[in-house]
Amino acid sequence: MALRARDIVNHDATLIGRKAWTDPHIYELEKRGIFAKSWLFLAHESQLPNPGDFVQAYMCETPVIVVRGADREIHANINSCTHRGLPVCRADHGNATKFVCPYHNWTYSVEGELLAIPQEKHLQSKADKGPLGLKPVPRVESWNGMYFGSFDPEIEPLDAYLGDQRWYLDAFFQRFPSGVEFVGSPQRWIINANWKLPVENQIGDVNHGPFLHSAVIPPEANREVFELGRSAVTIPGHGATFRLMPEGTPVEHVAWGFEGMSALLAPEIHDYLREIHAHAEERVGPIRARMKGLTYGVFPNLSFLWSNTAFKVSHPRGPGRVEYWCWSVVPADAPDEFKKILRGNHTTLFGPGGIIEQEDSEAWSQQYVGSRIDFADDRPYYYGLGLGEEKFHPDLPGLVSVTANEFYARHFFLRWRDALEKVED
Amino acid sequence: MSGVTPELQHRVEQWYYREARLLDGRQYETWLALCDPTIRYIVPARGNPLVDNKQQGTEAMISVERELEGVDSDRLPIRDETLPHLMMRMQRAYKPNSWSENPPARTRRIVGNVEIVEATEAQLSVLSNFHLHYARPGSATFFYAGQRRDVLHTRDDHGDYRILRREVVLDMSEIEFPTVGIFF
Ligand code: FES
Ligand SMILES: [Fe+2]
Repeated sequence: MALRARDIVNHDATLIGRKAWTDPHIYELEKRGIFAKSWLFLAHESQLPNPGDFVQAYMCETPVIVVRGADREIHANINSCTHRGLPVCRADHGNATKFVCPYHNWTYSVEGELLAIPQEKHLQSKADKGPLGLKPVPRVESWNGMYFGSFDPEIEPLDAYLGDQRWYLDAFFQRFPSGVEFVGSPQRWIINANWKLPVENQIGDVNHGPFLHSAVIPPEANREVFELGRSAVTIPGHGATFRLMPEGTPVEHVAWGFEGMSALLAPEIHDYLREIHAHAEERVGPIRARMKGLTYGVFPNLSFLWSNTAFKVSHPRGPGRVEYWCWSVVPADAPDEFKKILRGNHTTLFGPGGIIEQEDSEAWSQQYVGSRIDFADDRPYYYGLGLGEEKFHPDLPGLVSVTANEFYARHFFLRWRDALEKVED
Repeated sequence: MSGVTPELQHRVEQWYYREARLLDGRQYETWLALCDPTIRYIVPARGNPLVDNKQQGTEAMISVERELEGVDSDRLPIRDETLPHLMMRMQRAYKPNSWSENPPARTRRIVGNVEIVEATEAQLSVLSNFHLHYARPGSATFFYAGQRRDVLHTRDDHGDYRILRREVVLDMSEIEFPTVGIFF
């Protein structure tokens, strides 16, 4: 008999069975119950300034072309030819006037309509091209320049889906007078791990830092997280962690810490950063001006590593494999030379070349190995740390606690369990 | 390249062999002394940009350069580092809590195709290729291939070469390595 979600996640999600990360049937339920029914991040508008600009994206395992059409709107279509299924675009990014499938050269507009079937020259009958375009992603919406797609035509609007998570995201986005820009292509890093572990790591697990990363993260930086770190959950499945610096903290201490290593090593940009943070209060208000971000998660698989200014998506590739995409993000109005320095805040410490994340990627792989072993299914993982210690906060939306409280993960898995139960036979 | 004597070629090759031995022997501190204090250490990303139809029929259409997202591009290199970054990596390697490499990875590299493309009194520009075997106990074994584009100081006080700039062009499609943070 197939495993059921409620056999894996107990009533209050303090115990999670190992099969959550390894079982192929559960993985299929995740596709139907979560990836078919959520808003999934596609691209940022800064990647697509001109008509014809496109980037590749994935929605779970499904390849999607995201393009700015001649109508200047953003379109998202599945990258698979209606004739025999080949991808019609093989590049990561670029500017195109049309997409031509390599196999028999069916030709599509960048917006996805089928324009030409070359074989028809030699045939009497003509196919009705109307329904033969690339399959569009039925819902595409944006918030703050971030485009999301959903395979569920009935899904709630993106604004409602993000809810109060927007308040936390805006603490970053609105900090910069001209917003932010995504730099280049995402780093695409394939890791032998389940997609949920990088996600859980970013929704709220900053508490592994002083332990897993003790070879690199200095004790003062860890102390700051222990003493000033907060974890917030607005809607289950989303999460935000940050340090709430005390009132009167000098802007320097909000503007950069150890995590901003490349910025730290480049005194020429310090005035620029100081200026941004000195005016943060006017843009995001007094509370959020004191927020010094750590990590965020948006259900199901978008992460934001504010401390190192990177967005990430954990694309599943089966239960034991993930394609982890990470984009560096910089202030849009920074001079080009500063952008080049600031992108290093991400790449030096995180991503496939990062000094810190090389520990995480191995931890995630080993968690998959540990979840797959035999004779241990009666030892589900303990997710009960800090149970019930989260409280509403006068100034911060959602439930709030210290970062050691694993409530963010319990909320994620309760939402995960409910989503799977809806599609179980 | 003219002006490259067999002696110079030999000396440079021997230097690279010694460098490889230091790195595979995990003598990172000794290796770091071969780096100039102003070193720039770069690993470009390797993108798949759309082919430019106007370049049809030319070498430019499929040049390696157009795939590289390096430090001078406005895109996202994998690494863009200076001496403090490399020192941090070295120090990490000598701590027991650098968990992903405890036990340490076993590496063995073959450096070849050493080509001195420019030689002046002060500097050498040298290309070399490498195959690097990386085995992480308890995990898996990986294979890296790539080209190093180096600028070397011709000599320091001890008559040794110093690395001023190293750009590592990796030949992967996806990044299927547990880390690209090693010393190539
Ligand atoms: S498969 Fe695309 S044209 Fe035939
Ligand atoms: Fe980590």
